[in-house]
Amino acid sequence: MDILASFEWSFIWENREELWEGFKNTMKASAIGIGGAFVIGLVLGAIRAHRIPVASQLAATYVEIIRNTPILVQIFFIFYFLPRVGVSLEPFTVAWVAVMIWGGAFNTENFRAGFEAVPQRLREAGLALGFSPFKTFLNVTLPVGGRIALPSSINTYISVLKNTSLMLVVGYAELTAVAYSIQANTFRTFEMFAVLAVAYLAIVWMLSALIRLLEARLRLPEAL
Amino acid sequence: MPLAYELPEWVRPVAVYMLREGLPETLKLAAVAVTVSALIGILLGTFLTIHFRPLQALLRFYIEVWRGLPIIVTILFIYWLPALHVLGQTIQLDAYTAAAVGLSLWGSAQVAEATRGAVQSIPKEQHEAAAALGFGWLGRHAFVIVPQALRRLLPPFVGLLVNIIQNTTIAFVIGVNEFLQAGQRQVENLTTQTGNPHAFEIFAGVLVVFFIISFPLTMLARYLERRLV
Repeated sequence: MDILASFEWSFIWENREELWEGFKNTMKASAIGIGGAFVIGLVLGAIRAHRIPVASQLAATYVEIIRNTPILVQIFFIFYFLPRVGVSLEPFTVAWVAVMIWGGAFNTENFRAGFEAVPQRLREAGLALGFSPFKTFLNVTLPVGGRIALPSSINTYISVLKNTSLMLVVGYAELTAVAYSIQANTFRTFEMFAVLAVAYLAIVWMLSALIRLLEARLRLPEAL
Repeated sequence: MPLAYELPEWVRPVAVYMLREGLPETLKLAAVAVTVSALIGILLGTFLTIHFRPLQALLRFYIEVWRGLPIIVTILFIYWLPALHVLGQTIQLDAYTAAAVGLSLWGSAQVAEATRGAVQSIPKEQHEAAAALGFGWLGRHAFVIVPQALRRLLPPFVGLLVNIIQNTTIAFVIGVNEFLQAGQRQVENLTTQTGNPHAFEIFAGVLVVFFIISFPLTMLARYLERRLV
């Protein structure tokens, strides 16, 4: 195989700084997107689980719109929507806003399912102890339901990170976009793909292993 | 009866182009990818239930790699591949094929994982009964086990269809003229012709069309899940 014989490690090394910058940009957009998705999911998930009128229906509409349209189209939509509401159009802004909105919708479902899985009698016990409904949520529903929702929400965070690779289309210089431009100039296909594959798979596989670990460790006691 | 509200003049040709040129391409690409994903995925998923370590490791690797990579990376890689020389023939994949292959690698990994679960959920009495009737491994799976597993696979399958329809938009990045690309081309057209790209309205329209296609399928998947479990 002459393709493999011509694989040059030194080529990756020569471009290490650019690729490292790309990797950092991927992590930056992912971190903000994941943080935002966590907050959105927590708040809207609680609203959905407690069936708070109007807010719950609005949250459901948001979730269905995001889950039933391609994220790439959402990115384009946000790209042309932001300037209309007076936000200056920076690729970085589009990047984290898009993955945050996307992840928030999926996380709303994760947390809703988690909170709804908390047995009703636990909430009743909280109320009987004199906690207000909000305190009952904080002290009972959140710790128990959050635990149930954790594995599936980490899965959403993995997808958020993978989705930052789509920011190529808005010109945000994350890892995939950097590798794309290097390959376009040099045709070093295998070297660039190797970098992308190792970087993404290392993170995705590590987080997947974490999910399996947490699933085993955080399993609720049977008697609950 | 005249319309109370006339659509602006630019809308009609743009919509016609997108629905006639772009949308069929999106649906064709999705149909190819779903079919290939299903065939390969069901096969690999069934093989994954064989207790033979090296085979399991190999299939696991296939599944974890194509599920783990962002689909855009897979599609770009396949599209970037230099021409392959096989048996004196030069094979160079065009954008459409590259997108179909990329989506199928991802889709087949998803189907394989779901199939493994579905096949393993068939009670072992079914295996024993089929074996008692004289079926070998192949006949047992082809005629008894997998057909029953398919029933359980139906809801995730509809879910996969929704996902693949949405992911066909990624073919945009390598220039396939699917629905999103068709919209983008019209934006560029309008810019040169009239100076006003109407980008916001066009991409909002793309969003709406995808929703109209996906939402009923999502409801169907949910309905099937409730009914079959």
